[in-house]
Amino acid sequence: MTGARPGDWTRCDDRRLGRRRWPIGLLALILAVACTASSPAPPDTLRLALINDPILNPVLAPDLGSVMVNKVIFPGLVRPDERLRPEPDLAESWTASPDGKTWTFALRRGVKWHDGVPFSAGDVRFTFERILDPRSGSLLWSDFSVIDRIETPDSLTVRFVLKTRFAAFLTLLGYNAGIIPEHAFHGRPIYEAADFNRRRPIGTGPFRVVDAVPGASLTLEVNPDYYGAKPRLRRVVFKLVPDASAQVAQLRAGELDLVTLEPASLPGVEHAPGITIREAVVPQHYYVAFNQRRPLLKPVLVRRALDLAVNRRAIVEGVLKGSADLPVGTIPVALPDWFADSLERVPYDTARARRLLAEAGWRRGAGGGGGGGGLLRNDIGEPFRLTLLVDKGNPSREQAALAVLQDLRAVGVDATMQTLEFAALVRDYLQPGRYDAILIWWTTPPDPDQYSYYATGQINNNVAWSNPRADSLLLAGRGETDTVRRRAIYLAFQALEREDPPVLVLYYPREVQAMSSRLSGVPKLGVRDALRHVEAFGFR
Amino acid sequence: MPRSASALLLVLLVLFAWAGPLLRRTDPDALDLRHTVAPRSAAHPLGTDESGRDVLARLMAGGRVSLTVGIVATFVALLLGTLVGAVAGWRGGWVESLLMRGTDAAMAVPPLFVALAVLSIYGSRLWLVVGVIGATSWTGVGRLVRAEVLALREAEFVLAARALGRGGAGIVLRHLLPQLVPTLTVAASVGVAWAILTESALSFLGLGVQPPRASWGNMLTGAQASLYTAPRLAVWPGVMILLTTLACNGLGEALRRRHTR
Amino acid sequence: MAHLRFLLRRAVQGLAVIWIVTTITFALIHLAPGGPSILADPKLSPVERRAAEERLGLDRPLAVQYLVWQRNLLRGDLGRSYLYQTPAGRTALARVPNTALLAGLALLLSLAVAVPAGIYAGRRPGSAADRLLGLGSFAALSVPTFWFGIVLIILFAALWHLLPAGGTSTPGLEGSPADRVRHLLLPVLVLAVPVAAEFARYVRSGVATAAHAPHVAAARARGLDERLILRRHVLRNALLPLVTIVGLQAPLLAGGAAITETVFSWPGMGRLGVEAALGRDYPVVMAITLGVAAAVVAINLVLDVVYYLVDPRVRIG
Repeated sequence: MTGARPGDWTRCDDRRLGRRRWPIGLLALILAVACTASSPAPPDTLRLALINDPILNPVLAPDLGSVMVNKVIFPGLVRPDERLRPEPDLAESWTASPDGKTWTFALRRGVKWHDGVPFSAGDVRFTFERILDPRSGSLLWSDFSVIDRIETPDSLTVRFVLKTRFAAFLTLLGYNAGIIPEHAFHGRPIYEAADFNRRRPIGTGPFRVVDAVPGASLTLEVNPDYYGAKPRLRRVVFKLVPDASAQVAQLRAGELDLVTLEPASLPGVEHAPGITIREAVVPQHYYVAFNQRRPLLKPVLVRRALDLAVNRRAIVEGVLKGSADLPVGTIPVALPDWFADSLERVPYDTARARRLLAEAGWRRGAGGGGGGGGLLRNDIGEPFRLTLLVDKGNPSREQAALAVLQDLRAVGVDATMQTLEFAALVRDYLQPGRYDAILIWWTTPPDPDQYSYYATGQINNNVAWSNPRADSLLLAGRGETDTVRRRAIYLAFQALEREDPPVLVLYYPREVQAMSSRLSGVPKLGVRDALRHVEAFGFR
Repeated sequence: MPRSASALLLVLLVLFAWAGPLLRRTDPDALDLRHTVAPRSAAHPLGTDESGRDVLARLMAGGRVSLTVGIVATFVALLLGTLVGAVAGWRGGWVESLLMRGTDAAMAVPPLFVALAVLSIYGSRLWLVVGVIGATSWTGVGRLVRAEVLALREAEFVLAARALGRGGAGIVLRHLLPQLVPTLTVAASVGVAWAILTESALSFLGLGVQPPRASWGNMLTGAQASLYTAPRLAVWPGVMILLTTLACNGLGEALRRRHTR
Repeated sequence: MAHLRFLLRRAVQGLAVIWIVTTITFALIHLAPGGPSILADPKLSPVERRAAEERLGLDRPLAVQYLVWQRNLLRGDLGRSYLYQTPAGRTALARVPNTALLAGLALLLSLAVAVPAGIYAGRRPGSAADRLLGLGSFAALSVPTFWFGIVLIILFAALWHLLPAGGTSTPGLEGSPADRVRHLLLPVLVLAVPVAAEFARYVRSGVATAAHAPHVAAARARGLDERLILRRHVLRNALLPLVTIVGLQAPLLAGGAAITETVFSWPGMGRLGVEAALGRDYPVVMAITLGVAAAVVAINLVLDVVYYLVDPRVRIG
C-alpha cells in the first residue's frame, strides 16, 4: 500500500454514517416492494415462447416461429388431424376428378375475417396467385408450382387445375398455406405491407392479434366470430425468449406454459413440480449427406459400409436421451401410413462394414491410428479421407456429429470435423456441392413424396444420388392417388434405400414438449400442427 | 491481491493447463455416450460432461485454448496499440490526426458487435476469434502509448539521441519503447482477463472457440443445459475463468501501484 | 472566429469517422460468404432465390449496392430489414428506449453504489474495508456476464419464485409499475455490477491520491473542517475524471447490454444487434452501426466542446 495515513480520515466518519446509508435503504425498499408483489398467472391466457419476431403472413414466413403464430391466425383450406391426415377447415368438402388433376373445394359458409369482412373464394384465389408469383416474396412457390390455374365459379367454390396428378396436393394445402385476405392489401405487393405483416394481421382463425411489441411479445385475443369450436382460452401470448435456458427458467417460474426443448435440457425440467413432459413424433429425418459427386463416396459398397459403421443407438440414447427413433430409410416413423415398419432398423455391424469396405478395395494398414488397426487405404496407398461438416450452435447436432466421427474413425476412415454457421454451410457448401459429408436434416410435409429430395437431378437432391429404379418409384408415388397402391410403392422405395443408401439416415427426432401440468386439450402432434387446434387448449 | 500471490496463481494455472496433460493422459475429446454427466469416479476425478467426456481433461485442454486466446489476443492488441500510439505521438501533424480519428472510429463501435459481425460472417476459426478480440481491444493501449510518447518526445535523452542524428524509428524502438514497458505490462495483464471474458461471451452467443475444441468459455456454455441437475459442470470452468481473471487483474493492479509509487 | 473554426473542424472530423465506420462495415458484411440467412433455406428453389435477390437488390454489383445505400442514406432511408421487412432505421430506433432505460438505470445504480463505496475506501487506504472493496471489485470484473445472469435467473426465478425470469412485463399486468420494477431488477443488477466495480476503483484511487495532495494538507494545516475539505478539495478533484470514464463506458455498456438483453429476453437494441448479426440482416446491422457510431461521435464532440470551453488552451488534433 502506498504510504497510507488513515488516522486523520476516520475521525468524522461516525457522524456521516447514518446519512450515507440511504441508497442502501432505498434499494432494500425497492427489493421488498418488488418481491412481495405477486405475479398472478391469468388462468385463461396461454403463454408460448418464440425466439424471433414472427412475420404474420403465411405466404412470406420462412421460420418455425412464424409458422407457429400463423397457424393460430390463418387457417387453410384443410388441416392435419391427429394422424396428420387432412380434415376440413375453411373448405367443408372437396372432390377430385378421375384423372386426379382437377380439385374442387366447397368453402364453409358465413366465415368472417377478423375485421368483419366476409371470407370468399376470391381470397383463396388471391392467396394462391401470390404464392405462385415468386416476385411477391412467396416462399411456398415450390410447394404449389404444380398448379396450372385457379377458378372460382362462385363465391363459395374454388377449383384448382393441376399440370399433373399430384398425390400430396391435399396434404400441402394443410401444411403452410394459410389463406390471407385480398382486401387488406389494396393491390400493394404483400411483402411491402409492413403493418399487416408485423402488427395487424387479419385472418379467420380462433384468435386475432390485438397487440404487437417488437422484440417483446405478441398478444392475441379470442375471435368471437370464429367458425369452429368455441375456444376455451381467452388470450394467447407469444413471448420472445431467445435463449434456450431462459425458456426453461421461465417455464419453471410459471411464466411460460409450453416450450419445446433440446433433449439435453430435459433433465432440468423432468422432475420439476407442475411440469409435464411429452414427446411427439415429427416428420423429420436427420442424416449424414455423402456427396456422391466425389468418386470416394460414389460406390454403393462404400455407402452401405458406412451406413453399418455408425452406432445409432448410442447417439439416440446418449445424445438425444432417448427422444428419437431408430431409422429404416428416409421416410420417418411420424408417417405411420407410409413408414416401412416391416423392415429391420439399420443395424450397427462394424465387422460387416469392414468386409464391405474391403470388397470395395479399402484395406486397413498396419498400426497408426487408435482403435485396433490403421487407416483405410486403397491399392495405390491413398487414405480414405473425408471432412464432416455440421452447423454450429446446436449441442445435439454437434455431439451427434462427434459420435459419427468417432465411429467412422473406428473403421479406419481418416475423418475430421468442422463446424460452420448454418447459412454459410448451406449456401457455400451444401448447395454448390462442395463438401464430403454434412450432418443435416429435412423437415418434410406429412406426405411420403420425396421426389424433389431423392430423384435424379431434382432441386433438393444435394447429395447427387441417382438410382433409375428409385426415380421411377418416386415419380409413380407422387402421381398415385390410390392409398394401397401408393403404400406398396413407398415400401419398395424404402427397401431399395437399404441396398443403395442415398444418405446415412441417423435418426427421426421426437419433439420434446414441456408444458404446465394444468394445460389440457393439446393434441399429440408437433407443436406447429398442434397449434392449429388451439381452440381445444385450456387450463384445468 | 498481492503481486506474489497473483503471479503464483498464474504460474499454477499455466502449469495446470500445459503440464497437467503430461501427468494425466486422458483424451479430452473422447466421447462416452453411455456415461454422460457422470459424477466423480476414479476414472473421472471431476466426472464427465454432457457428452461423456472427462471434465478434468477438458479443463486442462480448455485452459490451454483460453489462456492462449487471452495471451495472443492481448499481444495483438498491444502490437496494434503501440504501433498506432507510437507513430501518432512521434510524428504528430496530419499523421497523428488521421490515426487518432481512426482510433475514435474504432472506439465508436461496441467491441462485442464488431466481433459478433465478423465471426458470424466469416466463421469462428480459432485464429479469427483471437484476431478479432485483439483487434477490438487495442484502442485504450493506443491512447496510453500516444500520451506517453507525447510526454517523452521532448525529454532530454530523446533530444540528445536526435542530436546524434538517430532516425525516428530507431529512437522510438531503442529509447522510447523501454520507457513504455511498465505501462504495457499493466495493460497486458488486464488485457488477458478481458480477452478470456470476451471469448466466453462470444461462446455464449455461439461464436467463440468452436467445439469439439474445448475452451473454458464454451464449456460454460455447454453446461447450461444441465444447470439444474449438474451445476458442477458450470462451476468448474466458471471457477477457472474467475481465478485467471482475478490473477491477471490483481497482477495488473499490483504492477500499477509499484509503477506509480 | 477561432472557436467556430475549431468546432467546425471537429464536426467535420466526426462525420468522417462515421463515414469510415459505415463504409468498412458495409464492405465487411457484403463481401462475406454465405449471404443473408433468409437465402440460406436449403428448401429454397432457385426460382424463389433469384426473385428474393432481385427484390433485395442483391443481384447488383457491390459498388452499385454501396452507392444506392449512400444515396438512400442521404435521403434518410436506411432500407428494409431482410428478416422483418420493416424500415431498418425505425426498427432499430424503436428499441432504443428499452436499452436506454436498462443502461441508464444500471449507470445510476453503479454510481450510487460506487461513489460512496469508493470514497469510503479511498479515505482509508489499506484498511479492511478497502481490501474488501478491492477484492470485491476484482471479483465483479472477473465474472462472465451471461453466467452471472443465468445463475441469478435460476436462483431468483426458477427455484425461489421471487422475481420474473425475463421479459418486460407480465401478460395482463402491463401497466403496473411494481411489475415493471420486478422485471428490471435482475437485468439492471447484472449490467451494473462490472460497471460499478470499474467506477469504484477510479473513485477510490482518485480520493486516495487527492487526499494527500499538497493543497489538502495545506487546508488541513489551516484548520478547516474535515467535511469541508472532503467536499471542496478532495471530491472535486477526484470525481472530475469520472465524467470522462462514464463517457468511455458507453460502448462497453452497449456490449454488456447485448448479452444481458439476450439472457433476460429484454427487447432492446443490443439484442436486435445480436439477432441482426446472426441472421445477417444487412440493413439492420448497418442502421445500428450508424446509430451507435453517431451517438459516440456526438458524445465525444460535446465532451471536446466542454473541455474547450473550460480550458481554451486545448488544441486537440
